[in-house]
Amino acid sequence: ELPPSQFPASRASAVALGYLCYLRGGPGRGLQLRELRRARRQDIDDVGHKYYLELELEDVLDKARTVSCTAEVLYHLGSKTSAPDVQVTVQGELRSTEEADQEFYNWIRSLEKELVAENIPDSHGNVPPELEPIHLLAWVASGYLIWQNSTENTKFHLAQVKHVKQVKRSDEDLQFDYVVLLHEMVSQEVLPWQVTLLWHPQRGARVSQ
Amino acid sequence: DQVLHIMLETLQQVQHLQLLCSTLMLDLWKPLLPEDIRAGEDLHIRVPAPLVQEVKDSLDKLMISYRVLIPDVQKLVDQSMPRERSSRRQVSGGYVYTEYHKMEEIYQWMTQIQQNNSELVTQRFLGKTFENRTMYYLQISQPSNKPKKIIWMDCGIHARERISPAFCQWFVKEILQNYKTDPNISRFLQNLDLYVLPVLNIDGYIYSWEEDRLWRKSRSPYENGTCYGTDLNRNFNSSWGSVGVSFDCNSEVFCGLGPESEPETRAVAQFIKSKKSDILCYLTIHSYGQLILTPYGSTNKPPSNNEELMQVAKEAAAALEGKYGTSYRVGSTASILYSNSGSSRDWAHTIGIPLSYTFELRDTGTHGFVLPADQIQPTCEETM
Repeated sequence: ELPPSQFPASRASAVALGYLCYLRGGPGRGLQLRELRRARRQDIDDVGHKYYLELELEDVLDKARTVSCTAEVLYHLGSKTSAPDVQVTVQGELRSTEEADQEFYNWIRSLEKELVAENIPDSHGNVPPELEPIHLLAWVASGYLIWQNSTENTKFHLAQVKHVKQVKRSDEDLQFDYVVLLHEMVSQEVLPWQVTLLWHPQRGARVSQ
Repeated sequence: DQVLHIMLETLQQVQHLQLLCSTLMLDLWKPLLPEDIRAGEDLHIRVPAPLVQEVKDSLDKLMISYRVLIPDVQKLVDQSMPRERSSRRQVSGGYVYTEYHKMEEIYQWMTQIQQNNSELVTQRFLGKTFENRTMYYLQISQPSNKPKKIIWMDCGIHARERISPAFCQWFVKEILQNYKTDPNISRFLQNLDLYVLPVLNIDGYIYSWEEDRLWRKSRSPYENGTCYGTDLNRNFNSSWGSVGVSFDCNSEVFCGLGPESEPETRAVAQFIKSKKSDILCYLTIHSYGQLILTPYGSTNKPPSNNEELMQVAKEAAAALEGKYGTSYRVGSTASILYSNSGSSRDWAHTIGIPLSYTFELRDTGTHGFVLPADQIQPTCEETM
């Protein structure tokens, strides 16, 4: 059993959240941690450290409600090359974003010129309302990076979207090439990362290698 | 700028309007395109202020009837700005506390504050930064014949943590606005002096406005000017250089060439040392994380007065949560966050200041360092 306020559990919960943002986030849904309720750690010989977490989450666009979920995060021994294994189970339903997703999809597809933006949020913390979905998709992309690159000695958050460029495709996916700045809490470094995100209203998001 | 509602009756009037719109490049709100202007249908056009009279004169000459739909477009725009929402603009003595301010403005603010509250506030010289800027702290002290203990608070040791200096300014305003009427504050000032340093890392703060919003350290050059800045919160003389630091200048946690190698660190340390027997409480304000951190960062060994430190911190966190439900975690840096050495908070405790805390203000990563200005008020109110 681990105290939820201390860093080992809180670092693992950041990984779980990153993974969940990648899987379930979208232009109309951004998930953040309201509270870490419980945490347990199991040391598995020759395998690694496994964290069992009970989390309370909220959607930034619907803060009145919370959603509970459980997560398992396994950091592999000597984890220089492999990402932690993560499993998350959400209890209950997340608010549907079908309409907003379709609207966003239609809007982007209707643009004559490919969308380009930088510094989201800006230095003052502001995000123009029409760019909020782009911001939330950056969370999805960052979620993937955070999941893939975390160790027990790191804690990442998205600090800012430095640059985003839409790339028109011949298939039905939307493509956004992002440069995101991730803040790593232990070293205090702010690291730029390039990541290409593909998204479709029904098929969801995936990072393209 | 005005928006005019125009009623067109004949084809000739339609043609005149189309010509007027294209010659003067007027902004058609309804319909969107000049070719869609029809007789018998309403026309809305926005006319830039310098052209309003000319357009009205033309319409009169053409005997086209119109009325003014929006007399002042800018005013309407201002009114509908989301900024005015729940966080009311907090303006006091002409200074907007719900906005982030450049260093120049903060210097002016300090002068104003002293001027307007001269019976209570003195602006005092603390030292100079690397780039030779003056560091001032504000001494808030009610005249009395009994000696008083001191509470010290510094903000802005890390440049990108902008909510921190905003809090120091808010704090000063709240105290000065309410010390006569609020019994808690008035009792406070009867027994305690408050020393507030609104921006410790002035050079870094300015750099984060002008060059790099996410800059953290000071601006002293190393390695022949190829690398800049010491993490001032790793530069104090508390287990300096032992853990959670880097000796590489390129790192965000570069601890400098030795303890107190930086002028900013020396300025703070010298002053606090000189007053240490009178300082009851040392507070240093950071962001983000929503944490109240107790000593130490360099070791898991608890400080001698850990019980008292934790109790006070827990009560503070509970009071904070009571305001807007914001939850703060409480504990030592080494257990809650990470290991580090050379922090100002650890140093203050080791020289004998009993209550020594680091506050990490809002939020927990959603905005991180780039906290929007509309959160200044709730953050500051709950932290008060």
